[in-house]
Amino acid sequence: MRVLPRVLISLLSLASAWAHAATIEMNVNGLVCAFCAQGIEKQLRKFPATADVVVSLEQKLVAVALKDGQDIPDSELRRALTNAGYTVKGIQRTETSLAVLRERLKQGKP
Amino acid sequence: MFRSSINLAGALALAGPLSAIGKPIAFAGGTTVMAEYGAGTMIEAQIFYAPRYDLSVGGGHLELNSDETTKITNINYARLNYLVHRWNLDNAQANLFIWGGLGSATGNTFSGTVLAENAGGQADYETRRIYASLKTDLQRSSEFSYRIDTLQLGVAPYRHEYGGIATWFLVQARQYTGGIHSGTELALLLRLFKGGIWVEAGVTNGGKLQAMAMVNF
Repeated sequence: MRVLPRVLISLLSLASAWAHAATIEMNVNGLVCAFCAQGIEKQLRKFPATADVVVSLEQKLVAVALKDGQDIPDSELRRALTNAGYTVKGIQRTETSLAVLRERLKQGKP
Repeated sequence: MFRSSINLAGALALAGPLSAIGKPIAFAGGTTVMAEYGAGTMIEAQIFYAPRYDLSVGGGHLELNSDETTKITNINYARLNYLVHRWNLDNAQANLFIWGGLGSATGNTFSGTVLAENAGGQADYETRRIYASLKTDLQRSSEFSYRIDTLQLGVAPYRHEYGGIATWFLVQARQYTGGIHSGTELALLLRLFKGGIWVEAGVTNGGKLQAMAMVNF
């Protein structure tokens, strides 16, 4: 039974690599309630380059999937989260798709 | 005890489409609609729009019914809420809000309509498992002066995740000045929220319904 999630993650990773889905992951302080997440999601969806947003209160993580060939500068991301009332601790860019990230978060992994 | 149970059941029944308030500013670009029924002594409805995360403007209606006399006061007000400071910690958030506004009031202990002034503040601290807030709200005019002080302490039985239902159990202590209610009114509350909908309901030590509801969008 433990093999199934691994296979699923591998397949999703392959699909992610094939699609060249770029994701921006941000570590955010002060993320303790659904209203915080709601406000942040609303701000980030305003960017034309945003394809999707995932917020994890448990991991204090905000992730943005970018549309193909598009990007959002770190400075604009920091400004958006600061204007939403939160503190960005770090920004990383990965090739992990949000589908993989969601699966990882569902398993309680950072 | 039976009356309390009925009131609690009524409060929980309200927990459907309605919702309640924790902060006077939800998020930048957000609109907050709130309603509170305070154990028969106060009924309040508010609507605020936040152009920024630290500022919201709007208005409300407050009805105060003394449980010591037959005094009733109705206040309509416009208000500005300001987040003085927010502390974004690793696993917690703390806030200090202040607000002020002007309005008009009518009542059965004076004639006509009088100018009403409103001022208040709130300090709160929350993690995903504990919550504490202290709020003070002053309404005054040439005919009356009322202050409502509210302390809430809460605990969550589990850490909620965005998209799921958050559950909180709270103890509320409230004091009124101006002859609305003597002594400290205690209430046990159940708070639920999911997405932009928040509901809070319970029963006071006097066996009365205490309920609040809020929607953010």
